[in-house]
Amino acid sequence: MDSEKNGALQSIGKRLPRVDARERVSGGAVYPADLKLPGMVHGKMLRSPHAHARIRRIDTTRAEALPGVLAVVTAADFPELPIGASIPMGETGYDMWMVAQTNMARGKVFWVGQPVAAVAAVDVHIAEAALALIEVDYQPLPAVIDLAAAMAAGAPVLHEHVFTKGVEPRPRSPSNICSRTVIARGDASAALMTAPATAGITVAIDTAHQGYLEPQAVVAQVDANGFLTVWASTQGQFTAELMIGRMLGLPLSQLKVIPLEVGGAFGGKIVIHGEAVAARLAQKCGRPVRIVLTREEVLQGGSGPPAAALIDIAVGADPDGRLTAIRASYHLDAGGLPGLGTSLVMQASAALYQCPNLDLQGFDVVTNKPRTEAYRAPGGIQAAFAMEQAMDALSQRLGMDPLEFRKCNAAVTGGLMPIGTPFPSIGLTTILDRVGAHPCWTDPLPQGRCPRGRGLAIGYWRGTSMTSAGHITIAGDGRPMVTMGAVDISGVRSTMAQVVAEEFGLPLDDIHVQTGDSKSVGYTDAAAGSRVARTSTAALVEASRDALGQLRTRAAEKLQCPPDQIDYAQGRFRARERAGAAISLAELMQATLTDGAVVGRGVSAKLPLGVEIGAHVCDVEVDTDTGLVTVLRYTAFQDVGRALNPIAVEGQMSGSVVQGIGWALMEGFDYGPDGRLRNASLLDYRMPTALDVPPIECVIIETPVPGVPYGVRGVGEVPIVPPAAAVANAIARAIGIRIRQMPMTPERVLRALRA
Amino acid sequence: MKDFAYVCPATLGDAIAAMKGDGARALAGGTDLIPQMREGRRQIACVVDLKRIPELTGITAGADGSLVLGAAASASHVAQNAVVAGAYPAVAQSARLIGSLQVQNRASLGGNICNAAPSADAVPALICHQASVRIAGPAGQREEALEDFIRAPGKTNLAPGELLVSIVLPPVAPRSAAAYLRFTPRREMDIAVAGAAAWICLDAGGRVAAARVVLASVGPTPMRAASAERQLLGERPSRALFASAGRLAAGDARPISDTRGSADYRRSLTAVLTARALADCCAATPIQQALA
Amino acid sequence: MKMPVTCTVNGEAHTVLADTRDTLLDLLRERIGLTGSKEGCGNGNCGTCTVLVDGAAVNACLMLALEAPGRDIVTIEGLAPRGKLHPIQQALVEHGGTQCGFCTPGIVLSAKALLDGNPNPTTHDVRHAIAGNICRCTGYDKIVDAIMAAAATLQAGGR
Repeated sequence: MDSEKNGALQSIGKRLPRVDARERVSGGAVYPADLKLPGMVHGKMLRSPHAHARIRRIDTTRAEALPGVLAVVTAADFPELPIGASIPMGETGYDMWMVAQTNMARGKVFWVGQPVAAVAAVDVHIAEAALALIEVDYQPLPAVIDLAAAMAAGAPVLHEHVFTKGVEPRPRSPSNICSRTVIARGDASAALMTAPATAGITVAIDTAHQGYLEPQAVVAQVDANGFLTVWASTQGQFTAELMIGRMLGLPLSQLKVIPLEVGGAFGGKIVIHGEAVAARLAQKCGRPVRIVLTREEVLQGGSGPPAAALIDIAVGADPDGRLTAIRASYHLDAGGLPGLGTSLVMQASAALYQCPNLDLQGFDVVTNKPRTEAYRAPGGIQAAFAMEQAMDALSQRLGMDPLEFRKCNAAVTGGLMPIGTPFPSIGLTTILDRVGAHPCWTDPLPQGRCPRGRGLAIGYWRGTSMTSAGHITIAGDGRPMVTMGAVDISGVRSTMAQVVAEEFGLPLDDIHVQTGDSKSVGYTDAAAGSRVARTSTAALVEASRDALGQLRTRAAEKLQCPPDQIDYAQGRFRARERAGAAISLAELMQATLTDGAVVGRGVSAKLPLGVEIGAHVCDVEVDTDTGLVTVLRYTAFQDVGRALNPIAVEGQMSGSVVQGIGWALMEGFDYGPDGRLRNASLLDYRMPTALDVPPIECVIIETPVPGVPYGVRGVGEVPIVPPAAAVANAIARAIGIRIRQMPMTPERVLRALRA
Repeated sequence: MKDFAYVCPATLGDAIAAMKGDGARALAGGTDLIPQMREGRRQIACVVDLKRIPELTGITAGADGSLVLGAAASASHVAQNAVVAGAYPAVAQSARLIGSLQVQNRASLGGNICNAAPSADAVPALICHQASVRIAGPAGQREEALEDFIRAPGKTNLAPGELLVSIVLPPVAPRSAAAYLRFTPRREMDIAVAGAAAWICLDAGGRVAAARVVLASVGPTPMRAASAERQLLGERPSRALFASAGRLAAGDARPISDTRGSADYRRSLTAVLTARALADCCAATPIQQALA
Repeated sequence: MKMPVTCTVNGEAHTVLADTRDTLLDLLRERIGLTGSKEGCGNGNCGTCTVLVDGAAVNACLMLALEAPGRDIVTIEGLAPRGKLHPIQQALVEHGGTQCGFCTPGIVLSAKALLDGNPNPTTHDVRHAIAGNICRCTGYDKIVDAIMAAAATLQAGGR
């Protein structure tokens, strides 16, 4: 059987409500902070007030003596992991030494808010009082709060064991520059010197936050035999389990992680933030422990925000508008521990352009701020803010329409990607053609009392595949019950119900989907990297076929004919040669229930990538007296391969766009010189309200990915990549000035206007 | 958060008695007080809930045409009141800017005044209308101008044991209008980076007979922009006049730089907001009619 | 300090032992066990704790538990008795107006307060009514569409 069925699809591609919407709208969805176990106590973390300091001594005696306090932990309660310790994840693993430091500092603190101790007490007030009784003897050290300070000669070095990777000869002194990555071909500098048209920009991007509404929350419980159960708000129960197990020194058969509903994550809930600490407290006091972070904790060092950056781009083209050179340097702020590296970001920013000469250099730099983590396409929006403005400026220099400029240089299937491999199937030119034909591009920009402009930006994100698993049990009434390994952060329960409904030819309501815990389903990587729908589809298609194969064998026996003469369609098996000889799934299961279970299994590992491409168009108005920018109109085009459920796809797109607009215009961390965050509350960390954004029109384009069931691409990350650049380009067209700082707050816009 | 006692008196007298002693604090909407207590910024020994007391929650007309707003009445209640909306639209407008709808359904003008933040949204328009505050305490009742009542961030003229009971709006002068505008980076649920309220009153010849300009978030307390006001007197309303008054208001302002904005930016905004608030006054019916 | 608090939530009387320092949100979630209202920020800046008090939308994190007695409090759990969804809830389901679901209870109640007072809102009215409720997942469009559809359903006599 082919993965592409003949005839119309029954479930896939339909606009269907989420199968789990009812509990969400009626208050029945359960998040970890909602859990109340008998005997449960409350945990709180003590956090460093210093951006950089040695911990000389911690005395917890007075805290332990406070009535109502049941346990206190510090780094001494966890095994010390060697530098470089890692857990399996994808191709490269994940650094566990860093995860451990992020969850409980050992010997040194690297950012304000880094945990140094934790208590469990019978109520939160006593826990808070106990924190005040823990005496920590810090030796404050000079701190570096921003990239420039961290890279300056003579800057205090955060990590004695970090020597800049990617530099020849190997440096002899440690550095805050953790790595240098180069992606190059040809001679970009020479090409720039002779290019008839050049443009460039240097930008500074502030740290922002993923802004999930649910602060991190966890409940941990140890049973009488020492088995640990953790209920978590996590993007990956298996990754969390590996991290918790490693941090506690607990064998993997001694614990499990049950993923509950996640109140937003966007990359910020892959790394644990408190789970292992709650578990250790539970081990020590023998009671279930719940830790729920406050919003202030989340923002002030208790979670991993995305990276601030300094990016410099120079681009050159010939008079026909063909790109001849891209030279760029990207400095990403990793926060207090070395970061995710710059390769993906650099590739993404240049991937969509055919260009013979490339010189991309990326630097991962530590500073005394919280260790950075992913926020949808990590680094993508920052890089696009620079690259897409540079390209837009170049198109202006050439006197060329920005859309024509992109078309002229657009990457195509089979063309060379920055790292030299050929592009798999992509539809960038299709997207650009659709943009050009759409009213958002062809409608004249309506005039208003304030200057207005229209901006275009394109974006790319590679995504990843990694591993997804699932199994399907057939219930006694013949209905498939799906247990998938993927945590649902994008509506995948619903889309997988559609996939299995399609495979079985059954109504959607017949399919039950749940996410398994880390011991009840096959290993599945975290819901991240735009991989979940695509790889879970592959795994569940395999599981469906496995189950149907087992059922076919049983049906053959019941219908007394060879299995290869059995046809299956829409819940019934028929003997091809004997009219009337048929049996439904329900009848078959009833007749064979005591023969044992029918369980179909599926795994997807290293599925071909479904790279994501988007193009966004934005109209803005700029109040030149105050600098306030209003987004008047926004249209997002994206190639999704195949939309399993257009409502879900649109939801991912418009949500990401609004996040991007938020970082573009109003979201940014304001760190003081002491490394303390000055806007650690949702009053001053401003996320867009419903009044701050226009309706977001989503245009779905489908260029299926070969070799992937239903041709599905990743969806959820690329839509955050273009918005800041689209808004910036629109502002530039409105007022003739490019804003070089992100967020482009009203004050910064006004300052640029007055400069 | 430290523990505290909670009382909910039914009469003003009981409330004053409850306010005796250190660490007693009045509670109206709680939208400032409760976060402050939870963040440890205020240590309260006794919370005195004012919401059962009629003088504190009602909105009543005075015999002389004034309007008396109970200090604990919610911002929504004030904004929806027909007399406020009709005769003092700038006050209604200001009440609708505090926080979000959810906050406005609880927050009170009295709380906004007594919290005495430099950015207090309710205060500038009230000062423009020459509002006074009625205070009750162990020594009896007294009244003073709101303009004099706020001394410093977080500090008013309330003596220990005193309560702000109501805000009195004098009768509206003919040929007058007021407006309040503030600048926030978001359209809702935000705190003013700068704010300006304006009030003008024209004489029979269509010239400005009296003017008040009150600025928020550009000084330790809401402040009058005296130079701007002087500029307006005796002049016919015009765009150029308002722009000039705006520039003078920016000079009167004494802003600081903080996470919400730099001093320079606040000065720029003051000029713009003052001019726009004056233009809004000019567009209001009483002024349009006086100019016709 | 612990003290007994009696209050009416979703038409039902509850007497529980609360801590004086509890907010109404703590009372609902920890003492009464109604966990549908959420805590996202603790200081009135996200709206995930929105409940109706005497018909008005308020942030439960900005009220003391001790202020609850005598008030008519409605939480998300009170909107769909016996499982039949309110038109606002049904519309959010149909229009894709809920993703992670964390903002949803607050949004539903803000929408209810809007439609109770203004049965025929414009989309601007709707955006204004939910401006005190941050949503990070949807970008708001499908929420607005859903509330407009619910308004139409209610106007047409749907329940």
